[in-house]
Amino acid sequence: METLSAKNESNFLSVTPSPPKKRKKGFWQILVQQKYLYLMSLPFVIWCFVFNYLPIWGWTMAFQNYKPSRSFGEQEWVGFKQFIDLFQDERFYLVLRNTLAMSLMGLVFGFVVPIFFAVFLNELKGTIFKRTVQTVSYLPHFVSWVVVGGIITKMLSVDGGIVNELLLTIGVINEPIQFMAQGKWFWGIVTGADIWKETGWNAIIYLAAITGIDKELYEAARVDGAGRLRQIWNITLPGIRTTISVLLIMSIGHLIGIGFEKQFQLQNSLVLDYSEVLDLYALNYGIKISRFSYGTAISMFTSVVSVILLLTANGIMKKTTKESIM
Amino acid sequence: MKWKTPKTFAALLLATTLLIGGCGNSGNNASSNTGSTGNTGNNAENSQNAAEDTSPITFTFFGADASPNWNNMQDEVGKVITEKTGVTIQAEYDVGSGGGEQKIALMTASGDVPDFIFAKGSLSKLVDAGLIMDMTDLIEKHAPNIKKILGDNMNRMKYSNEDPSIYQITTNMGVDQQSFDATGGFEIQQRVLKEFGYPEIRTVKDFEDILRKYKEKYPETDGQPTIPLTLNADDWKIMITVTNPAFLTTGAPDDGEYYVNPETYEAQLHYKRPEEKEYFRWLNHMYNEGLLDKETFVQKDDQYKAKIASGRVLGLISQEWEYQDGENALKAAGKDEYTYAHFPVTLNEDYVDHSFQSAGLDGSGIAITTACKDPVRLIKFLDWLASDEGQVLMNWGIEGKHYNVENGVRVVPQEIQDRKVNDANNFNKESGISLYRAFTVYYGDGVKDPSGNYYTTNFPEQIVAGYTEAEKETLAAYGATTWKDLFPQESDFEPKEWGALYNMPVPTDGDYQVIYQKTQDIIRKRIPEAVLAKPDQFDKVFDDFLAELDKAGAKEMEAEYTALVKKRVSLFTGKDVQ
Amino acid sequence: MAASKAFNATRSEKVFDLINVILMTVILIVTLYPFLNVLAISLNDSTDTVRGGIYLWPREFTLENYRTIFNYTGLIQGFKISVLRTIVGTIFGLISSSMLAYTLSRPDFRSRKFVSTFLALTMYFSGGLVPGYMLMRNLDLIGTFWIYVLPGIVSAFNVFIIRSFIDGLPYALQESAKLDGANDFTIYYRVILPLCKPVLATIALFLAVGQWNSWFDTYLYNGNKPHLTTLQYELMKVLASTNQGSGMVNANDMANLMAQVSPESIKMAITIVVTLPILLVYPFLQRYFVSGMTLGAVKA
Repeated sequence: METLSAKNESNFLSVTPSPPKKRKKGFWQILVQQKYLYLMSLPFVIWCFVFNYLPIWGWTMAFQNYKPSRSFGEQEWVGFKQFIDLFQDERFYLVLRNTLAMSLMGLVFGFVVPIFFAVFLNELKGTIFKRTVQTVSYLPHFVSWVVVGGIITKMLSVDGGIVNELLLTIGVINEPIQFMAQGKWFWGIVTGADIWKETGWNAIIYLAAITGIDKELYEAARVDGAGRLRQIWNITLPGIRTTISVLLIMSIGHLIGIGFEKQFQLQNSLVLDYSEVLDLYALNYGIKISRFSYGTAISMFTSVVSVILLLTANGIMKKTTKESIM
Repeated sequence: MKWKTPKTFAALLLATTLLIGGCGNSGNNASSNTGSTGNTGNNAENSQNAAEDTSPITFTFFGADASPNWNNMQDEVGKVITEKTGVTIQAEYDVGSGGGEQKIALMTASGDVPDFIFAKGSLSKLVDAGLIMDMTDLIEKHAPNIKKILGDNMNRMKYSNEDPSIYQITTNMGVDQQSFDATGGFEIQQRVLKEFGYPEIRTVKDFEDILRKYKEKYPETDGQPTIPLTLNADDWKIMITVTNPAFLTTGAPDDGEYYVNPETYEAQLHYKRPEEKEYFRWLNHMYNEGLLDKETFVQKDDQYKAKIASGRVLGLISQEWEYQDGENALKAAGKDEYTYAHFPVTLNEDYVDHSFQSAGLDGSGIAITTACKDPVRLIKFLDWLASDEGQVLMNWGIEGKHYNVENGVRVVPQEIQDRKVNDANNFNKESGISLYRAFTVYYGDGVKDPSGNYYTTNFPEQIVAGYTEAEKETLAAYGATTWKDLFPQESDFEPKEWGALYNMPVPTDGDYQVIYQKTQDIIRKRIPEAVLAKPDQFDKVFDDFLAELDKAGAKEMEAEYTALVKKRVSLFTGKDVQ
Repeated sequence: MAASKAFNATRSEKVFDLINVILMTVILIVTLYPFLNVLAISLNDSTDTVRGGIYLWPREFTLENYRTIFNYTGLIQGFKISVLRTIVGTIFGLISSSMLAYTLSRPDFRSRKFVSTFLALTMYFSGGLVPGYMLMRNLDLIGTFWIYVLPGIVSAFNVFIIRSFIDGLPYALQESAKLDGANDFTIYYRVILPLCKPVLATIALFLAVGQWNSWFDTYLYNGNKPHLTTLQYELMKVLASTNQGSGMVNANDMANLMAQVSPESIKMAITIVVTLPILLVYPFLQRYFVSGMTLGAVKA
């Protein structure tokens, strides 16, 4: 399949330098030949354009001092002022650091754990047990961050929290530790909480991908005497490689926009320097105080960085693994 | 057409979609035009014979606060209102945390406003967009009841010195409202007071001593460590239990984050007052002495309440509504002696608690939009609600059903009273009592109607009846009937000339909001740091904190605020303020 | 097959299985806890809940919290709309993502790179609140049911997930169908779709959960249309939460809001009411993506 794709691309490229007459004809031919493919994609592309691309005119707000009460013609244009304000705010760099720290930790751990979970779940023998674990593991996804935040704060409390009680009992510590009061632990706590809540849910995609692997491959490996770990390594993981790559590329694009719900629900006034993320900053210093333009400037910044990350990740993956989304 | 490149293709797409978009747009315009023409006709017709007009009409409404019990006027009071006036309100309320900022921003941008609106802090945006109607003439011509209730407060309804229009009438608080009880101050468990023979609790020192003595005597409560004092710093509640007490204990009234000098009207962030530094020093001392709960700045709201509900927290610095859930759990468990008494504690005896200094009528309320189908009919409706008949209906319900008149006295039957207490939610939803109050101006608690009955169903006798035996015992020991008796009274103070500043609209453009948000972030971070510092570090941390505020632009912000306060004083009082 | 497995099972295989079962049991317990906790609190007396310390079992059992919720009008109406939007939104979403995914999986598709880039970018930006609203207004979608379904029909994420699955299928299947004279649509419909059941089930779950859980569109566009509000929105009304109100400085407002805060137990009951219906869908979809059931699908 990869060879096919490569071949096609060379075709595609070879068309470009050829004389326009011939190219035009080629296009029409292909269009007729691939009419079903166009019929199955074009309407949705238009759709996508209307609902996703048209509202982008809103980005003009980033260059205005936007007020909802004025019409578009009456808005005051301020050039790059919003961006200058943004890049001059010390707090912006702090929240950017926090955002990147937590999203990178999330990418390293939060991305890998569901893969392992899916793979090992797949190795379970009893169907009923397998289904039960799978069903239960995704339940926390439906529990809101308010609740999860409450559970975690209670578990880590010095006032009878289960973690401290446990550590005291086995004698690792002599005095309860205020886990939630330590800025340096906050990123870890958020990452851990996220893994707890979302692993089961995120694993579903991989489980589906695993079902697409030809079962005969396992039979053959077994005949060759390959152990379970070897089967995982040689068959399961390569079998879901495409899915992993696609998800990885998309996640890298999302490194900078990670939402703020979990940080917001877990933070307290002692860890603010480690908990505030870009999306919360955008809310507090943007929309919440009616600074639509500033909020738009931040979201534009986020989008541009995301797209650069996406293209870079896509390019690197394409070169190194031949897997890409574009 | 030539299909050269994907670009041509994209251009075509663009053309198609613009066409679609354009069509939708023009269609919409056309429909809204016909709509307004229809309305104009209606208008003229209605204003001719509006006097007794009770033909059915529907007004649309948006409320910026959540109102989960709204039942589309299908409740008992709602049906009577529709029957008597012909008016049905089609209401939408904000959900979740409320405030309606996003909805109102969209209304402002699109001009799609309902007939009338409770916009709260976002009113100025709608006013700027020219979407709010001046009610001055409407009230003058068609609303005698509203005029009567507002009385001298009419000045306070005006928008600003530059634009003295009346854009909203205050409907989220009662006129001439009296408080019958004190629910703030410093709180101490009844059992602690009893143990030491009800000593005088006047200063933070008295408070500290009694908590310490009790803790030393009884280090455990029901097998768990006793907590002398805990505060709630979860999100905005830090203001209620940590930062607001700083001005309350140092003889200043509540003006949000500011302190206003009553002579010069200069406003500053209240943290900058030197006496407040001493209050935070005391909190720091409490923490270092081990009297302030270690988890104060880490715990979540529910952990805080659970501690209170366990009965092991001896003292609080808060407002009753803030810790009520915890106290209710104590009452439900029959642990009345673990509930809390209220004291007007100050930093030392030189200060007087200003909790009861009146700010006068100052709040948010109903505004009529320029999209309103029939403003005259609407104001008449609001005025009917403000009539004695309307007020009694909204507060007491329907005669013979929710209350009876015995010898000229309105009495709530026992079974209704029981439902109000035990099944409040369902009762409110079915009856609609107090659901409609926010639609118009109304008299507050403690005001009597011409028949000599109170307009509202809250009166002093009820407060006392609601006390537990333990509370009554404590009160008796201090020679009082309500907690309020222990506090300095309204009559001890001049009403504030600038109203309640937390209601004052602030500029939405420019740097004000940004600096304010920055100072808030600094306060949320540095105050806990100062309280938890080593005693010898406190001065440095606190001074750094103040310096940081100024660095963020606090001085400019305060200057801007001062100018607004001065304008407000002159608007409210007619004084010429420099 | 089970027999041959047992035959081959060596000692290390057994150790592997044992460790795996233990590991999965731990995960089972750890992930079951939050939900059980929510359930226990929702069944506990709301005043008593404040005392804390409720873990797996209610201390003072009551159904009162659920009764309170079900007393609100509009829930049945909201439920109907929610079910409808979930079904319609899922079907539309499946059709669009699978068609797009198929065309993008075709290496010979001329506009493949353009379309995939065009789609991918949509994941990373939005025009914001006001432009979005104005678009819906211009398209006359405000106040209609379609506003729940139409804007979200194309989801790039779903497209790429399905495509990665199709890429894993043997390309020979398509080619032999083509030799049999099938056109591209027939291949999509007769060959690709049946093979994609596992991934389609996954995407259906994502779409359904997304549709079921959303309330913000109702809030923005249809809050004043009682016949079009969704269950989630109706429950949001009940759930007057102060958790995000950190910008308030007004003591009056705070006091008012506090009076409206729903007790913990009611919040938890709402979580259960909202989650259970969508959980019921799960077993029907799960059989497609937990392997062991779809053996031989590729051969068929």
